Amino acid sequence: MPISAGGVAMGAWPRVAMEASELWVGFVGAGRMAGGLVRGLLQAGKVPASNVLASAPSDKNLDAWRELGCRTTHCNLEVVYRSTLVFLATKPHILPGVLEEIRPAVGSQHIVVSLVAGVTIQTLQRAGAMVFSRGSNAGDEEAALLKSLLSSCGLCEEVPESYIDIHTGLSGSGVAYVYLFAEALAEGAVKMGMPGALASRIAAQTLLGAAKMLLETGEHPAKLRGDVCTPGGTTIYALHQLEKGALRATIMDAVEAATNRACDMAKD
Amino acid sequence: ISAGGVALGAWPRVTMEASELWVGFVGAGRMAGGLVRGLLQAGKVPASNVLASAPSDKNLDAWRELGCRTTHCNLEVVYRSTLVFLATKPHILPGVLEEIRPAVGSQHIVVSLVAGVTIQTLQRLLPPGTKVLRIMPNLPCVVQAGAMVFSRGSNAGDEEAALLKSLLSSCGLCEEVPESYIDIHTGLSGSGVAYVYLFAEALAEGAVKMGMPGALASRIAAQTLLGAAKMLLETGEHPAKLRGDVCTPGGTTIYALHQLEKGALRATIMDAVEAATNRACDMAKD
Repeated sequence: MPISAGGVAMGAWPRVAMEASELWVGFVGAGRMAGGLVRGLLQAGKVPASNVLASAPSDKNLDAWRELGCRTTHCNLEVVYRSTLVFLATKPHILPGVLEEIRPAVGSQHIVVSLVAGVTIQTLQRAGAMVFSRGSNAGDEEAALLKSLLSSCGLCEEVPESYIDIHTGLSGSGVAYVYLFAEALAEGAVKMGMPGALASRIAAQTLLGAAKMLLETGEHPAKLRGDVCTPGGTTIYALHQLEKGALRATIMDAVEAATNRACDMAKD
Repeated sequence: ISAGGVALGAWPRVTMEASELWVGFVGAGRMAGGLVRGLLQAGKVPASNVLASAPSDKNLDAWRELGCRTTHCNLEVVYRSTLVFLATKPHILPGVLEEIRPAVGSQHIVVSLVAGVTIQTLQRLLPPGTKVLRIMPNLPCVVQAGAMVFSRGSNAGDEEAALLKSLLSSCGLCEEVPESYIDIHTGLSGSGVAYVYLFAEALAEGAVKMGMPGALASRIAAQTLLGAAKMLLETGEHPAKLRGDVCTPGGTTIYALHQLEKGALRATIMDAVEAATNRACDMAKD
């Protein structure tokens, strides 16, 4: 007897299609990470909102999804039944229970993508940094689909799974190191007499400009750094301070600590 | 008197329309090059309206490739331009100002990019009444993501300030400030890009230590910087708020941040901004 949930006869599944516009996309879990990803996808016009279904235990997060035009439910199974591409976006400790719950509904037509670790999502278009790995049954077609879908959100690269924890330490958490850096840059300027709001704007713009130079010139950061260093000029005086403060070692410590924590959490 | 075939009695008509503006650069080095690339890419000024001078062809080849006109004669730049950017090295500027002074008139807008040279000095070395502004850009103007601040001299009015701002906003953030902020901007942003490059290098190297190949690590590091910068600029939220948003309790981020605090990262960066700013002030006094 066909099982029905939410009025949809489960025997009649949506036709499987690799066309992104015909793709039925589901999210199990609707928190910040999932929200960032779906905003990026919708903004890029990759998937119509009406093709997106998200589940969460309460309405707390789901209101925002409905405002975007997505469908919502409290039933994880419904997401799996009604979607081809299923993103898992629960908290790590919840995931095992959820997997056990949805397992009976998962079939060969599904592409299951876990966001539970190692994906950095920015809510803004084309500024994210994401890496993904494939399981043994996900082939070139699935990888290409995911990459094409997510490239609208930023840099999206396939990597060996061992890199995912490193990516967490470098980029997932890395954005926080940049926010700290921006705060300190602005505060240095405030100490020297610049008002805070202006200093903050200039600090952020400085980060943006330097990042664009790195990405668009493709030059080694050390080369670009050298280009700015006029002999006896202001920059080399500043860089001496950064070396005295062991800035590089401190940042490497941070990436290492975050990566190790990610590995430890994965073992739990 | 004639120079280069143009009768110098017949000057280009003065106009505030950017597209009809005749723009000159005295000095054609890296910073000037960054600025003109930004202007041209944004379509603010046609390349044929730009004339740059330099002692040798070394820098000027690149300008010709962009479609700009070039010369070895500073006076020609002043005669043929309305908006004149001064972009020489600091120790060369006084000599250049003495050279071009006879040709500077009330129709000119003189904008100095020269580090450490104050508006007071510029006004002293140019004819009385000259409209003078001083600007400090940074190199990412090349990719139209620059950060620039400028100040006006006593004869530069709202119209000149508005023209400069409208022209240069195509290269990035462009704000008018009191002259005392210019040295701070040097320490924060002019030199600041170098601190970011160092930061990017270290981020990537941390990932390499953990096992990621360097090229991938560098790309991700740069993209991480870009994304965080965009979040700051586009949300307008305080960096501490955005930082907190990323800190899941007991998660990877807070472990990393603890390392950054142990390493006194913030104090180190403030030291750098201070050192660069102080150096800028010292250089200005020379």
